[in-house]
Amino acid sequence: MRRLLWLSVLSAVAIAYPLLLSSPFQQRLGALVLLYAIAASAWNIVGGYAGQVSVGHVVFFGCGAYAAMGAYAKFGLSPLFGIPGGIVIAAALAAVIGVPTLRLSGHYFSMATIAVAETMRLIVTNTDYLGAAVGLSGPTVARNIFDLSFISSLPYYYLFLLVLAITLFITWWMTNSRMGFYLRAIKDSERAARSLGAPASRTKLYAFMLSAALTSVAGALYAMMFGFVDPESGLGILISVKILIMAALGGAGLLFGPLVGAAILVPLEEISNSVLGGKGAGLTFVVYGAIIVLIARFQPGGILSLFKRRPKPGSEVGAPHAP
Amino acid sequence: MEAGRSPKLPSLKNLVGETLWEVWFMALKLTTRLLCAAAMTVVLAAGAQAEDKVVKIGVILPMSGSTASIGAHAKAALEVATDIINNAHPELDKLPLAKNAGLAGLGGAKVEIVIADNQGSPATGQNQALRLITEEKVVAILGAYQSGITLTSSAIAEKYGIPYLTPESVAANLTERGFKWFFRTTPIAPDFVRIYDEFLTDMKAAGAKTDTIALVHDNTEYGTSVANTITKGFKEKGRTGVIDVAYAVNATDLQAQVLQLKEKKPDVVLMISYTSDAILFAKTMQSLDYKPPMLLADDAGYSDPSFIKAVGKLSQGVFNRSSWAVGPAGSPSAVIADMYKKKSGEEMEDTVGREMQGFFVLVDAIDRAGSTDPAKIQAALKATDLKPEQLIMGYKGVKFDEKGQNVLASAYIIQLQDGENYVSVWPKGNAEKAPVMPYKGW
Repeated sequence: MRRLLWLSVLSAVAIAYPLLLSSPFQQRLGALVLLYAIAASAWNIVGGYAGQVSVGHVVFFGCGAYAAMGAYAKFGLSPLFGIPGGIVIAAALAAVIGVPTLRLSGHYFSMATIAVAETMRLIVTNTDYLGAAVGLSGPTVARNIFDLSFISSLPYYYLFLLVLAITLFITWWMTNSRMGFYLRAIKDSERAARSLGAPASRTKLYAFMLSAALTSVAGALYAMMFGFVDPESGLGILISVKILIMAALGGAGLLFGPLVGAAILVPLEEISNSVLGGKGAGLTFVVYGAIIVLIARFQPGGILSLFKRRPKPGSEVGAPHAP
Repeated sequence: MEAGRSPKLPSLKNLVGETLWEVWFMALKLTTRLLCAAAMTVVLAAGAQAEDKVVKIGVILPMSGSTASIGAHAKAALEVATDIINNAHPELDKLPLAKNAGLAGLGGAKVEIVIADNQGSPATGQNQALRLITEEKVVAILGAYQSGITLTSSAIAEKYGIPYLTPESVAANLTERGFKWFFRTTPIAPDFVRIYDEFLTDMKAAGAKTDTIALVHDNTEYGTSVANTITKGFKEKGRTGVIDVAYAVNATDLQAQVLQLKEKKPDVVLMISYTSDAILFAKTMQSLDYKPPMLLADDAGYSDPSFIKAVGKLSQGVFNRSSWAVGPAGSPSAVIADMYKKKSGEEMEDTVGREMQGFFVLVDAIDRAGSTDPAKIQAALKATDLKPEQLIMGYKGVKFDEKGQNVLASAYIIQLQDGENYVSVWPKGNAEKAPVMPYKGW
């Protein structure tokens, strides 16, 4: 009951936000929070619930971004048509990457995903069809509503809100399914889970593919909003790191953790850049970095774990684990 | 033994913990202050708007990330330019806006630049463009150095109907989007083709051999797009002997490329490279004892003061493209070079010069518009017709075509004759010295 109350308050705030704060910059900030929350929630499926810390998720992000821009630049279609393509490519790629790398554990898995992401960035930088170093641009002037090229951030905001709701619903549904129980068992102790007959490799692979597919949707939405993708902005490793930090900051392995992380870090970054950025010297990143260090030191389970009391019997999400 | 166990000594763990808590509270304070500052800026912006004596111009630059040094230099250059506009500088009376203080067309209003950091990201650049337009209420935007960021940030300006001028992004597609609020003052790849073609024709007339040309370029956006345009342009002009030599940017070894050049023996080697690669090329050429008859560079790394410091003495006689040349003492460019050096401690060079020139063109249009109404500024920009003597750069003037490209953008050819300072050698009308052939090297 309590849970339902909180959920409706949260939804009401999310729906009303752009109407309460009506300056274009604040609305865009809201849209960006939701966008990063989608990406971080998608990462959370494999990074949080399955405990497989992928630092190469930008590969899937890039799949979506390039598919959306490619649909426009190469075929003259609405970038929306790129989304299914991006999902298929990302899931297939996740299967190819996942089969060998998911056998690795701990840091070795993270390192392997970084290597894949960097390789992909270099390949795309040298592929003329994908615009090489120049990148691909979206529609500059919208031909119709399906080009999703709006002046106001409001349409983006509600579109992202819808996608985030779907992403969170899928995550919630997954955690309550057999797969979710397998994943938590694997995260606690893969060996024990295997000995009890949980199909560890297959479950991890499915989680990885699901996470990849949802990340590619985030990438496609990102490219549509900014109307451009190049190897650095679509496949740069820093995007993965940002997504990972947001999930970890809010609470990895918690349903609303990534949303909380995004709601803190995105405004922090944008506002500190707006206030300090023009002065030079990269002060933005100093403030940003300091806060991350402090949270990692004092609340490694993420901010949401502060509000987490004893897990009630039957509570849907297990207590977060300190790394 | 006892001292080690003494309970009075705080353990290292507690000590670290307490210090971290202090830092945490400081960070909290800082965040609060940041938010206050943000609120203040909004309030101040509203105040300035009401006063109407200050014209705000947004500037998007890389102030952090791998190209932060360019942002810092450009910032210094724009501060010098703002000083020239806002204060009386009778010694620069040939330049528009310099003679008197402020903008005559707006009753002596002062110009203020609002710099935003693009962090090297197209997304951040676009967010900042939106903030500059909607929160800071700038009347026009100048930016954004990296072509990809200029692409995304100018799209916002186009949607909001705010003039956007790029003084330095050269990607061809920027002016091909049918934008009505976008202007570009810098010369672009087709201009480079024309300049090199004319220069090589003149050099041939003077007795140099220019039949085969090797294009050495990296695989970045800059390297590939400029090389492609030059190859195509040269073909159209009947120059067929073009050899393409590509390499990966930030190379650690360039022996293969230099050996390839050594074997093919082109008459002219045209280098399209950033600084670190340019330096490595100079060193590799020396170690493999390769000297082409003519070495011509496409700006970029070869204009970087650190290139000259590192390998200037190994590259004596290299030709380079630049729109910047310090004129004789007392000329506007010499005065400005002096002011810039005082401000930044660096020598003025092509990139910051183009930045400053673009800013002057934009402010001149605002002055002529006599208003901060974006549509009037846009109309004034379209009507821009500056003569060479009104400029600090070596353009033949500033006049925009319907796509917003400056059709009179041009450049000089300069030569590093003594290995320390570039002197302009072409075209003849602007030359300080005659070009020296062949390439001397070390």
